[in-house]
Amino acid sequence: MNLKECYAALEGDYEDVIARLRSERLVQKFVLKFLNDPSYDLLNRSLENADYGEAFRAAHTIKGVCQNLSFTKLYHSSQLLTEALRAGWSQEAAQLVPQLTADYQQTISAIRTFQEEMG
Amino acid sequence: MNQEQGYKQKILIADDSEMNRAILTDMLENEYHIIEAEDGMQTLAALQTYGTEISLVLLDIVMPKLDGFGVLKVMNQRHWIEDIPVIMISSESSASHIDRAFEMGITDFISRPFDATIVHRRVVNTILLYAKQKKLVSLVADQICEKEQQNTLMINILSHIVEFRNGESGLHVLHIHILTELLLKQLIQITDRYPLSHSDISLISTASALHDIGKISIPSEILNKPGRLTDEEFTVMKTHSMRGAVMLDELPIHKNEPLVKTAYEICRWHHERYDGRGYPDGLKGDEIPISAQIVALADVYDALTSERVYKKAFSHETAVRMILDGQCGAFNPLLMQCLRETEMTLQEELANNDRPAYANQIDMETIVEEMMRHEELASSERSLQLLEHERMKYNFFAAMSNEIQFEYIETPSMVTLSSWGAEKLGLPETIMDPHHDSRILAIFNEETLQDFSRAIRSTTPADPVIQYDCQAMLDGTSRWFRVISRATWSSDETPQYLGAIGKAVDIHEARLRFNSLLEKTKDGSDAKP
Repeated sequence: MNLKECYAALEGDYEDVIARLRSERLVQKFVLKFLNDPSYDLLNRSLENADYGEAFRAAHTIKGVCQNLSFTKLYHSSQLLTEALRAGWSQEAAQLVPQLTADYQQTISAIRTFQEEMG
Repeated sequence: MNQEQGYKQKILIADDSEMNRAILTDMLENEYHIIEAEDGMQTLAALQTYGTEISLVLLDIVMPKLDGFGVLKVMNQRHWIEDIPVIMISSESSASHIDRAFEMGITDFISRPFDATIVHRRVVNTILLYAKQKKLVSLVADQICEKEQQNTLMINILSHIVEFRNGESGLHVLHIHILTELLLKQLIQITDRYPLSHSDISLISTASALHDIGKISIPSEILNKPGRLTDEEFTVMKTHSMRGAVMLDELPIHKNEPLVKTAYEICRWHHERYDGRGYPDGLKGDEIPISAQIVALADVYDALTSERVYKKAFSHETAVRMILDGQCGAFNPLLMQCLRETEMTLQEELANNDRPAYANQIDMETIVEEMMRHEELASSERSLQLLEHERMKYNFFAAMSNEIQFEYIETPSMVTLSSWGAEKLGLPETIMDPHHDSRILAIFNEETLQDFSRAIRSTTPADPVIQYDCQAMLDGTSRWFRVISRATWSSDETPQYLGAIGKAVDIHEARLRFNSLLEKTKDGSDAKP
């Protein structure tokens, strides 16, 4: 699996990210770094603790990172959740969490596969 | 281009996401020294620490503790935004956010997802633009400075030549300048009859130096005659005012310059009298230009209080009384009022300023006033350098002193420790919200902090210093410290508490000795019947 295939697996936009960041080396470095980004754990933790201000910021951060890396699919679900959480907790937000979780897992597993095949 | 002798300009990246900071850092770290901040408070702490050493801030909006707008608000309050450019980077791309950010002084707004080349280009452009602006500001300031100095210098030389021939002290011109300026400033306080702007006053004061240039064409036998002049000689002497005016009027060029026109008025009419009995034209009342009226009064006062070949110097009080009694001519009643009202400062200013340095001081005041009128020059490179210098000095002495020094700022609540102090207490050098910081509360308990806070807040701007003894936990043992601290109050009409500076000294041993002495004295007194 190369980086382009990894982007296909996580349903991101490879051409867009390369056009913006101009370097495959850079993109790869940050894609791998995404595995260690604490924002998703922070989001889950703050949802459990009902700290919705913190949850909003965590979702917002995921959204920002996905935007920078052109992780299109995860960007959309994090964007929806961010907007739903902007005014605090809502039924709507609750419905959006599973989608974000699924997209996050898809993204992470694509990157892990890419990492393993790189050796 | 940005690397001179290995020196890199500093960029502060403020973003709560490490990933986002890393992407920006990666793009910029070859050319710039990157400082990172994870939240709004850290951003302010970095700004506080580095000041204008920071060439640019890349600022995110949504951040914990204090968001990007909160940071901008403080940057505005402290006027940092005027000297440190901010580029906001955010996915909050709604028009209202962008408008608000620009209103709060940001230079540029970059939306996520960003293009690496665009970010890089905008960063470089912004830094260059600010560097150019700073350079231009200092260039303009230098030129104003030079221009003013040379002008004043030329006028002083010229008028000194006149005085030299006259056998006068050389201070006369300086005195006339000071008196003219003081009297004019007082005049605009008490009346709006004469529409004089700040620059008119400066112009008249400068032109006053030329009031006696006509004396250059008076024969020196008459000019320097020790005894009383004959009627014939006096007639010749009286021609000096008109002769001075003619000299200026016959200038081949420049005769329409405001300075020359004002000097013309002063030369020609500084011996007119308010009652119309002066010379050369016998003008009356406000037919005499206010410039000439003022210089006439200044001239008479200085002549009275100076020693001349034909008389001793009168005291200030005598001179003022003689003028007010009408013994030395007739003056505009408003000017007499000015003389009465400036009487105290006048004497003081003249006494203080009978030294060559004053000439420079006048220049400096003029330059400062000139710069104050141009708002964009108010925080010029000069003042920035001064600030940098003070910061460097402070850091140096703080590092040398082996003392726990601190600086506390109320909004946002933040304490900065000297590096030695931080190490001694085992704390970081900058702590946000210290009243609720567990590391601080482990050293000074909550009660002590509150008590100290009450004490420092109950000081006044006139008496801002307190001495406060308290116990602190260091390495698991309690020790006595003496805190000497000075509150900082704003200069508003109702002073606001801004924070405090101070130091803490370990007085544990001294305190124990004192306590045991106290004990002994007590034992001693108990032992005696």
